[in-house]
Amino acid sequence: MANAEPKLIRVEVAYARPDEQTIIPVEVPEGATLEQAIVQSRIQERFPEIQLNTAKVGVFGKLGKLAATVRAGDRVEIYRPLLADPKEVRKRRAAEGKRMGKGGGDLEPKAG
Amino acid sequence: MITAIVALSALAGISGLLLGFAAVRFKVEGDPIVDKIDAILPQTQCGQCGYAGCRPYAEAIAAGDADINQCPPGGENGIVALAELLGRDPKPLNPDNGVEKPKMVAVIDEQNCIGCTLCIQACPVDAILGAAKHMHTVIDRECTGCELCLAPCPVDCIDMVPVAQTITNWKWTYPGPAPEVRRPADRAAA
Repeated sequence: MANAEPKLIRVEVAYARPDEQTIIPVEVPEGATLEQAIVQSRIQERFPEIQLNTAKVGVFGKLGKLAATVRAGDRVEIYRPLLADPKEVRKRRAAEGKRMGKGGGDLEPKAG
Repeated sequence: MITAIVALSALAGISGLLLGFAAVRFKVEGDPIVDKIDAILPQTQCGQCGYAGCRPYAEAIAAGDADINQCPPGGENGIVALAELLGRDPKPLNPDNGVEKPKMVAVIDEQNCIGCTLCIQACPVDAILGAAKHMHTVIDRECTGCELCLAPCPVDCIDMVPVAQTITNWKWTYPGPAPEVRRPADRAAA
């Protein structure tokens, strides 16, 4: 076993629009960043609207930085902004007399 | 005499080594019946059977703790397939566990999604892509239609829509119970 070649790890790069969603498996060298994985997946060729310098990215629902390193099995995700203003949606629901569902309130994911 | 003993011992030794090698090389990990049951289950991971997912339910069936009629997404066909595999009699779906429905996928109404991540945490198969204060989107290929994301959504923005049957997702159904044969004599009587 030669150690000169960096070990390849398997990750996925995912992007989703309501009409089309894709998960692209890629193999990147160990220690690669989210950005490297995204570039290597060439996902931007399929979805030209992805702007890497402004897009928010993360791994499995947790926002991360483009420069962060990926670990084997990670799903690197590229997010889209919200269309609705959460405050407005809540106000509208209150005006319509609907209760917030079970998960109501300002629940943020636990600190991390 | 000596030659015969040596030859037979050598034969026995070689066979022993071969068997030993085969036992190590082709070792069966886990319980194959659990795998077979799990293969029949629909992998919705919906928990309607009362277990945390399809695999735990398969283990419970194999251990004799659970009955074969507790999986609504698998439906009648799933029960028949399980009954056949385990050599038991098929029985109707237990209504306590739910009712059989056509396959659905979740769709998020983008105008109302507030990016709360509650549905993402509820999804057993990571079929929802999104992060805090960013749009959540269901990856319909991954969605099993388990409906576990509906209850946590604080703004009721997730709808279940039936999946249209296309050439790419069409599947053979499991053989169901034999159709009732009406003989000409019955028809004459009717």
